[in-house]
Amino acid sequence: MGTAIPEYVVVLLQESLPAWGVAGVVGRSADGGLEVRAATAHLHVARAPAGLPFRWLVSLGDRKRAVSGVPGLLRTVRAGIDPSYRPIAVRIAALPLAP
Amino acid sequence: MIPIWVLTGFLGSGKTTLLGRLLKTPGFSRTAVIINEFGEIGLDHDLIETSDESFVALQTGCLCCTVRDDLVLTLEDLLRRRAARTAPPFERVVIETSGLADPAPILHALMMGPTFAGQLFVAGVVTTVDAVNGWRTLDRHKEAIKQVAVADRLLLTKTDLLAMPATALSARLAALNPAAQHLPAAFGDVEANTLFDLACGEKAPVELARWLAASAAGEPRRTEHVHDAEIVCIAIVRETPMRAVGLTLLLEVLAEHCGGDLLRLKGLVNIAECPERPAVIHGVQHVFHPPAWLARWPSQDHRSRLVLIGRNLRRAWIEALLTALEMEVAEVHGGAGKLATTGEE
Repeated sequence: MGTAIPEYVVVLLQESLPAWGVAGVVGRSADGGLEVRAATAHLHVARAPAGLPFRWLVSLGDRKRAVSGVPGLLRTVRAGIDPSYRPIAVRIAALPLAP
Repeated sequence: MIPIWVLTGFLGSGKTTLLGRLLKTPGFSRTAVIINEFGEIGLDHDLIETSDESFVALQTGCLCCTVRDDLVLTLEDLLRRRAARTAPPFERVVIETSGLADPAPILHALMMGPTFAGQLFVAGVVTTVDAVNGWRTLDRHKEAIKQVAVADRLLLTKTDLLAMPATALSARLAALNPAAQHLPAAFGDVEANTLFDLACGEKAPVELARWLAASAAGEPRRTEHVHDAEIVCIAIVRETPMRAVGLTLLLEVLAEHCGGDLLRLKGLVNIAECPERPAVIHGVQHVFHPPAWLARWPSQDHRSRLVLIGRNLRRAWIEALLTALEMEVAEVHGGAGKLATTGEE
């Protein structure tokens, strides 16, 4: 896994802000990560360092949060920029792989 | 398992008239009817006569806000009485909501009922719409729009009072919920077995295919309509099979980020791990049925098809989400394949 954020993550976060009703911009940063700028916060998203069982690292100031995948990334980004968002502990049981 | 049907519709849309007619017909025998009336003094149950094999239970208060627990208790009590043979051996349950009820919380209560799981299942939602006043009702009452949006079947009532067919209203209902089957009813006349027949067994693939086809009508790849009160119907088609974990994660994100705005979700999904049998998914707001597996595909079309009806949903976001999940799952399956839970540094 390289250090650059793949395009599908960029597109997803760009589409997520209007879907959540949050004004802001998402763009690539010089270090290959992503900047998410909203009225209330400025987040940085990067690939998690190799060797960790995580995929993404979300930074809000000095605070860093590692997440394992897209659902966690969306949850963490939204919690950082959407004051009205209240994370809920919804977990869907895995679909049986066979009927 | 015993099917539960939710009969909803705005005040004065003809629910009680319909029930009164149905309860006198042989096709509606062995039915337990739960009538929910708003207010301390109920009248509707007095307006309904039943046959020997059917009976009516009454609840007062609005099901959607105050008596959801009571509904579960009522159903549990009915099952107990049926098992003890102190109640008729009903084979169908119909719950008539009050006219002001938001049906979504009621569906939640039914789908989450802890003790009657395995004995009862939600077969569908029938919504009555007054052909004469329905248009104005939809203009003025958001509950009425929600009642239409979650319906599996829409029953246009009082058509006998119209000089002309309710073409505009029918079109509005079709735009609001393109997946629902439309049935006319004059004087509350409709065949019980037509209205409450089961979309299961041999008929399930046909029923679901109709639901999905109606939602995607006119455009094979995608369709989107903007409706009353910002309710949107989005149909998404995926050419390639989805991995089971990808679908699981999609449902999790939708539940978490759309919540109450996702009024209804249905889908026929080609799961990569079992491509010969499609998985059927149903959801109301943040609650999803366990997936059901059809014995076979209903047609030669083996593409995954999802239909979402909700408020302020954005197609671009849902498409981007699905793509991102598929890409990530593919990366993980092709790589180390280990994912951990969320953590902090």
